[in-house]
Amino acid sequence: MTLTDVMPATDDRVAATPKITVRDLKFFYGSTMSLKGISLALAPNRVTAFIGPSGCGKSTLLRVLNRMYDLYPNQRAEGEVLLDGENILKPDVDLNLLRSRVGMVFQKPTPFPMSIYENIAFGIRLYEKVSKSELDGRVEQALKGAALWPEVKDKLQTSGLGLSGGQQQRLCIARTIALSPEVILLDEPCSALDPISTARIEELIDELKSRFTFAIVTHNMQQAARVSDKTAFMYLGELIEFDDTRKIFTSPSVKQTQAYITGRFG
Amino acid sequence: MANIALGGSASHVSGETTRVARLQKFKSWDALFSGLTRSAAIAVLVLLGGVVVSLIVGSRLAFQTFGLSFLTREVWNPVTDQYGALAPIYGTLVTSLIAMVIAVPVGLGIAIFLTELCPYRLRRPIGIAIELLAGIPSIIYGIWGLFVFAPFLQQYVQPALITVFGPIPVLNMVFAGPPYGIGIFTAGIILGVMVLPFVSSISRDVFETVPPVLKEAAYGIGCTTREVVTNVVIPHSRTAIVGGVMLGLGRALGETMAVTFVIGNAHKISASILSPGTTISASIANEFTEAVGDIYTSSLIALGLILFVITFIVLAIARLLLMRINNRASA
Repeated sequence: MTLTDVMPATDDRVAATPKITVRDLKFFYGSTMSLKGISLALAPNRVTAFIGPSGCGKSTLLRVLNRMYDLYPNQRAEGEVLLDGENILKPDVDLNLLRSRVGMVFQKPTPFPMSIYENIAFGIRLYEKVSKSELDGRVEQALKGAALWPEVKDKLQTSGLGLSGGQQQRLCIARTIALSPEVILLDEPCSALDPISTARIEELIDELKSRFTFAIVTHNMQQAARVSDKTAFMYLGELIEFDDTRKIFTSPSVKQTQAYITGRFG
Repeated sequence: MANIALGGSASHVSGETTRVARLQKFKSWDALFSGLTRSAAIAVLVLLGGVVVSLIVGSRLAFQTFGLSFLTREVWNPVTDQYGALAPIYGTLVTSLIAMVIAVPVGLGIAIFLTELCPYRLRRPIGIAIELLAGIPSIIYGIWGLFVFAPFLQQYVQPALITVFGPIPVLNMVFAGPPYGIGIFTAGIILGVMVLPFVSSISRDVFETVPPVLKEAAYGIGCTTREVVTNVVIPHSRTAIVGGVMLGLGRALGETMAVTFVIGNAHKISASILSPGTTISASIANEFTEAVGDIYTSSLIALGLILFVITFIVLAIARLLLMRINNRASA
């Protein structure tokens, strides 16, 4: 299907200046086309959820937004992805800089094999020369931002691998926000976590969205409904419907969307 | 059993008996099977024990004659029947050290290039070339080292080293002339080349087990390839790398043929690594056929025992190191 008007007319603030604009994005794994011309816009300081059955291309779309796919040969993207008006798919884009502006949290917690403190300080040191005391402050701030500080403040020097799954995931979020990115991509961040940890991370997203723009891929309908402002439903590499979350979950305009969110298909 | 089963008339009862009989048969096979595997495992212990015992028995005469000073004496004189193991021990340790100094950084470099940087088309050819390097019989390294590499070193490399390090205080002792071509230095380099494929192929295998998502996470905060390798890939796989390095070291310590060709077989210790020396295995290989007299033979066997102990210690240290690293990682 082709979407001529991707901007929802319901929210004027959103329509004004999108943080990320995707235009006619096609993505290929070798010769297989897995995104078939996606166009949408992510509003600043909003949470956009991507839902759809496995293999619909939602994770692929996320991996285009920070060009993670670039690590692998035979994967390429066509079209335009504008971050603040600048096309990040151009070959001369500085990938390290891009990824510091567009952070990513993965499905499985991925603490680095180093101490809790170092997990966060490491990223900060990559970009800035800061004094020890300032670094301490930044680490504390990031851990507080990710609601992890009270649990780890007495064991900052122990390995990040010793934390529980939920704590590890919040450590990864802390690590990401420590770099003050502009956009944070969450690729099924709660699928490996228990309900309590999931609730904490959802609260966290809510608190942090005043500072960052979020894109979240999730298989959990309730989660999409709870945390997001906008929801995109994708199927087989196409964007079926993209609208306010409330509207998608109450009165979707496409029948397929309704079938999926009510669990009758997918 | 068969005729009961075929009887058919009292099918239920005969069926039961058949089953029991068959199960009995399985059980006896099981017992035989477990007996066979157990004896295979025990055979290894017996063999190991036998080797140790025969080494100890064989070397008793040498240790009785020279006492523990056998370990600390440099003299090796078949004419006066005076033997000491210090020179071969020194040669073994120094050549292995040189080999590891060469093989570890180069091997890790190859592994990093192959897993992180190399274009996909080149990965297979380079990987295969490295494995071929491991497959070359050591005698070939030996003749190549003696006829090609040593003359090359003698003519070009060693004179240059002597000149360059001449004015530098400590190093001018280490690289002191004359350039023989063969010697500790040459043996160390050849050993390094021989150990290299082990270090690089093990490290490559280990690097490939680093979860892609972990690397992506590091790239995801904007790391460059070098930063990902030094901060994520190597720390994640350090345990296995230490294991691979130790395996290489084990091979370097025991390697005989190639070293015997190029080390010069001189039972003396000199400060200069350019001068000829010997290693434990080279001494044994060289002198076993001409060892007449009980003490001479016993001394050579004692050398073998020492090599066994050194290798054992290296393995033990490797284990301890790995245990400590694991504990720290899980703490």
